Amino acid sequence: MNRIVKMAIKDLRLLARDRMGAFFILGFPILMGLFFGLVMGGSNSGEGRAKMQVAIVDNDNSDMSRKFIESLKANESIAVSMEELESARESVRKGKRVAMMVLDEGFGESAGVLWGQPPTIKLGVDPSRSAEAAMLQGFIMESIGQLVGERFQDPDLMRNFIDKSRQELADNQSISSTNRMLMQAFFGSLEQMTENIGALQTQSDDSSQAPNAGKGIQFANIESLDVSRAVDPDSTAGQIAKLNSKWDISFPQAMIWGVLGCVAGFAISIAKERTQGTMTRLRVAPVSKFEIIAGKALACFITVVLVIVTLTVLGVLLGMQPKSYPLLVLAAISVSVCFVGIMMFLSVIGTTEQAVGGSGWAINMVMAMLGGGMIPVMFMPAFMKSLSNLSPVKWGILSLEGAIWREFSFAEMVMPCLILIGVGIIGMSIGTLIFRRTDA
Amino acid sequence: MENPLIVSAQGLRKSYGSHIAVDGLNFEIQRGATFGLLGPNGAGKTTTISMLVGLLHPDEGSVIVGDGSSKSNGTAGNPVDDSVRRLIGVAPQSLSLYDELTAKENLEFFGQLYGLSGGRLRERVQWSLAFAELEDRQKDRLSTFSGGMKRRMNIAVAMIHEPEILLLDEPTVGVDPQSRNHIFESIQRLQKEGLTILYTTHYMEEAQRLCDSVAIMDHGKLLALDSVPRLIAQHGGCSVVTCELGRLPEQVELPGQLDGTLLRFESDRPLEKVAELSGQGVQFRTLSISQPDLESVFLSLTGRSLRD
Ligand SMILES: Nc1ncnc2c1ncn2[C@@H]1O[C@H](COP(=O)(O)OP(=O)(O)OP(=O)(O)O)[C@@H](O)[C@H]1O
Ligand SMILES: [Mg+2]
Repeated sequence: MNRIVKMAIKDLRLLARDRMGAFFILGFPILMGLFFGLVMGGSNSGEGRAKMQVAIVDNDNSDMSRKFIESLKANESIAVSMEELESARESVRKGKRVAMMVLDEGFGESAGVLWGQPPTIKLGVDPSRSAEAAMLQGFIMESIGQLVGERFQDPDLMRNFIDKSRQELADNQSISSTNRMLMQAFFGSLEQMTENIGALQTQSDDSSQAPNAGKGIQFANIESLDVSRAVDPDSTAGQIAKLNSKWDISFPQAMIWGVLGCVAGFAISIAKERTQGTMTRLRVAPVSKFEIIAGKALACFITVVLVIVTLTVLGVLLGMQPKSYPLLVLAAISVSVCFVGIMMFLSVIGTTEQAVGGSGWAINMVMAMLGGGMIPVMFMPAFMKSLSNLSPVKWGILSLEGAIWREFSFAEMVMPCLILIGVGIIGMSIGTLIFRRTDA
Repeated sequence: MENPLIVSAQGLRKSYGSHIAVDGLNFEIQRGATFGLLGPNGAGKTTTISMLVGLLHPDEGSVIVGDGSSKSNGTAGNPVDDSVRRLIGVAPQSLSLYDELTAKENLEFFGQLYGLSGGRLRERVQWSLAFAELEDRQKDRLSTFSGGMKRRMNIAVAMIHEPEILLLDEPTVGVDPQSRNHIFESIQRLQKEGLTILYTTHYMEEAQRLCDSVAIMDHGKLLALDSVPRLIAQHGGCSVVTCELGRLPEQVELPGQLDGTLLRFESDRPLEKVAELSGQGVQFRTLSISQPDLESVFLSLTGRSLRD
C-alpha cells in the first residue's frame, strides 16, 4: 500500500510539472465551463431584460379590472396579452410566457379599497423563472396601488362601494351592534369625504395627486396557480425548469472534460514509463505489477476528485447552488471510479505514447460527443438520446447534474452511479489483466 | 582464496519468436568480482541481463542470484522473488529516469520503492549524489542535465538501495571520454568496496581495463570465458611487429617477408626477437609492436571485427 501511495505521489508531482497535461485537466475545462455558462446565461438574462411576457385572463371585465390591466400595460417591463384561461396556461407551460394572471369576477369591487378583503389575483409562474416572478409581483402591487388612487379620485365609484358596503352591513346579522354603529359612522364620514373630493375635483383639475399607497397595507392577495406540475418533468422544458443557475449545465460538462483530460493524461503515463525506460526500473524493484498500475489508478482517482472539487468550488463562487452535497460526493466518487477504470483500460491498448494518446483521445471524443459532453443530452434528437446511454459520459454528467440541479433522490442516483461504478470495475479488471500479461 | 558464487546462470535460452537471442548461456560470477559481457550489437547482452534480474523469464535454464550468506540477507534464488531483487541494482542500457523530477526526487522515489525511509533514505540519497558527483545539481530536474550527467545518475539510482550486485548495461554509451573516465573511476571505487559487478559493453578496452573475467558473446552464444590475459594468451595469437629497416647485414635470416625496407612478422615473444635481430647487426629505423588484445581474441573467435 505504501508503495502504491509513493507511486501515486510521484505521478501527481509529474502531472503538476506537465503544463500541457495540467491544462487539459483543469485549464481547458474551466474555460469551457465559463464560456458555455456565459453563453447560456446571456440568452437567459437577455430574455429577462426584454419584456416579461404575461398572459392575463380577465373574468371580471369591470372598469377596475380594465384600469388595472391598463396600468400593467403601461409598465415597460411587461408585455401583456389577453387570453383565455386554457391558452394562457398552455403558453406558460410551453415557456412562451413567464406568467399567467387570472382576475376573477368581483376583482373590480375590492381592488383599490383599503379595507375589507383585498382582491385576489391568481398568478401562475414558470418555475424556472422565479426571479422574474418576484419582479412581476412587485409590478402587480404597484398597479393595484394606482387603483387605490383611482378610487379616491372617482367619487361615483366610491359612493357605489359605500352604498354596497352599507347594504352588506345592514344585511349582516353577525356583526355586533356597537361595531355596526361604528362602521356606519365610518361609512358616513367616508361618504362625506368622497363628496368633498368630488367637489374639489370639479373645482380644480390640478389636485390630482394620488394619495400615498401606505406601506404594509395589502392591496391584493396574490394566489399562486400551479403551472409546474403540468410540465412533463422529463421533457426538455421540464428539465430546464429545474435549472437555477447558468452554470448548471456547463459546469458538470466541464467536470467531465477535466475527467477526460485525466483519463488521457494518465493512460499515456503508463506508456511513457515504458518509453522513458522507468518501467524497467519499476519492474526490477520489489514492486508488483499490480502495485504499479494501482499507483497510477490512485493518482488518477485523486486528480479526478480534485478536478470535480475545484470546478464545484468555482461554480459555487459564481452562483451555482448544488442541491445536495452528499449526492455530489457520491456522484464524484462514482465518476472517479468509472473513469479511472477507463483510464486503466486505455493505458494497455497500446505500448507507445502516440498509440495510447491517439486512441485515448479518439475514444474520449466519441464518449463525450455521444454522452452530452458537447451538446447536452436533453437537446439531442431522440435517436441520439438513446445512443447516449452507451456513453459513460452521459451517466457521469447525469449523476453530477442529479446532485447539482436535477434534485435527484438517492434512489434516482443509484442507477447512474451503479452504471458508472460497473464500467469502472470492468475497465480496471481488463486493464490490470492485460497489464499483467504484457512484458512477460 | 575462492569467493562464493553470487550469480549463476545455467543453460539460459531465450528467443523472440523464431529469433534466438540467447542460446544456452552458462556462467558464474564470484562475489566481489567484475564480470564483463563483451559482444557486438545484438549479441544478446541486454537479453541476458533482463533474465538475470527477472524481467524476462528464460525459455530454458535457470538463474540463481545471491550466495545465501548473511551479506545476501541469507537469500539466494530466482530474481523474480522480491527478496532476491533487493540484492540487485540495475543501470539499464537506455536511461531510465524521470526527466521532470530532480536528481534528488528520482533517488528518493526509487529508494522508497526499496523500502528506504527517514534518515536511512536521506543518507543513501546523499551517498548516491556524492557518488554521481551531482550534489550541487541535486535540486535540478534531469531534463536540464547533460547526457554524461544522466548516465551517472542512471548508475547512482541503481546504487540507491546498496545492492550486492550491480548490473551495468553499456554504461558509457554516448558519453565523451572525460565523462567515461569519470564513470570508470566511480566503478573502480565500487570494486574496491567489494561490490560484485556485471558489466556489458562492446568496447574491448573497457572490458580489458575493468573486468576480472570476460565472457565473449556473439549471436546469443558464449564463445569464450576467462580472465583477460588468459583469453589473449589462448585466442589472441601472436604479437605483430612492424618495422622499417636501415642497414641489413647479408647473412641475417629474417623472420618474415621483406617488402622494400618494410618488415612485418608475428611472434609470441616479439621483444626477444627484435633484440636478437639487433644483435645480428640489423638497424631499425621505425619499430612498432602490437600486442594481441580482446579485439584480436574476438577476431580469431568469429572471423569478424568486434565493432562494425
Ligand atoms: N523485445 C524484443 N523483441 C524481439 N526481438 C528482440 C527483442 N529484444 C531483443 N531482441 C533481439 O534479440 C537479439 C539480442 O538483443 P539484445 O538487446 O539482447 O542485444 P545486445 O547485446 O544488448 O545489443 P546492443 O549492444 O545493441 O545493446 C537482437 O537480435 C534483438 O534484435
Ligand atoms: Mg543491449
